[in-house]
Amino acid sequence: MSTQAVSRTHGDQMITTIPTIHLAAPMPGFPAHTRFALVRLNDEGLLYAFTSLDNPELRFLVVPPDPFFENYTPEIPDEALALLGYPEAEDVITMLVITAGKEATAANLLAPIVINTVNRMAVQVVLAGTDMPVRAILNRK
Amino acid sequence: MLVLTRRAGESVMIGDDVVITVLEARGDVIRLGIQAPRDVRVHREEIYRELQAANREAASPTDAVVEELSRTLRPPSDQGDAGTQ
Repeated sequence: MSTQAVSRTHGDQMITTIPTIHLAAPMPGFPAHTRFALVRLNDEGLLYAFTSLDNPELRFLVVPPDPFFENYTPEIPDEALALLGYPEAEDVITMLVITAGKEATAANLLAPIVINTVNRMAVQVVLAGTDMPVRAILNRK
Repeated sequence: MLVLTRRAGESVMIGDDVVITVLEARGDVIRLGIQAPRDVRVHREEIYRELQAANREAASPTDAVVEELSRTLRPPSDQGDAGTQ
């Protein structure tokens, strides 16, 4: 069962801004931030900001796995599914946190942010037991 | 750090809701079982630290970086959308 991002591409808007997203557990390193918004940053729908509503100075750049990592179909562990309220597969979107480095941009495949678009719960899921890289090169500048 | 000594089969409680049990102790390798409420995340420390560092590194890029990525982020190749939905 794939948990790929919802890909309704017949419209031009794949994913639009989703009002307040609640992290069921905070992101490691940022325990004080549980309310976020997902803001589309470019027209192609390839770059989003995951911005803290608790302090908007904090934001992460995130991308959908498609089209950068086409075979990325993480299996969401049961504990995470429970935190998300056991969503249907089609109600789940996945976003990867990216880091801009000097040479290249890297995406975190080990710990995607998984969002239940119905109840707007989210969690950064650690795919423990896999050998997913925490830094996978996205593109070269 | 609180130091306790346990044998296989014995447990430690943290607060009211977290129980760590030594399942098996064989030489250097200890197998632990952890019971915790589901909103308490349990990870191998080195994984957690790595993720913490990665998140901190990713956090709050400058506007200049955001602007550049916004312009330059492209799919890996222009192979034309086959639309595999």
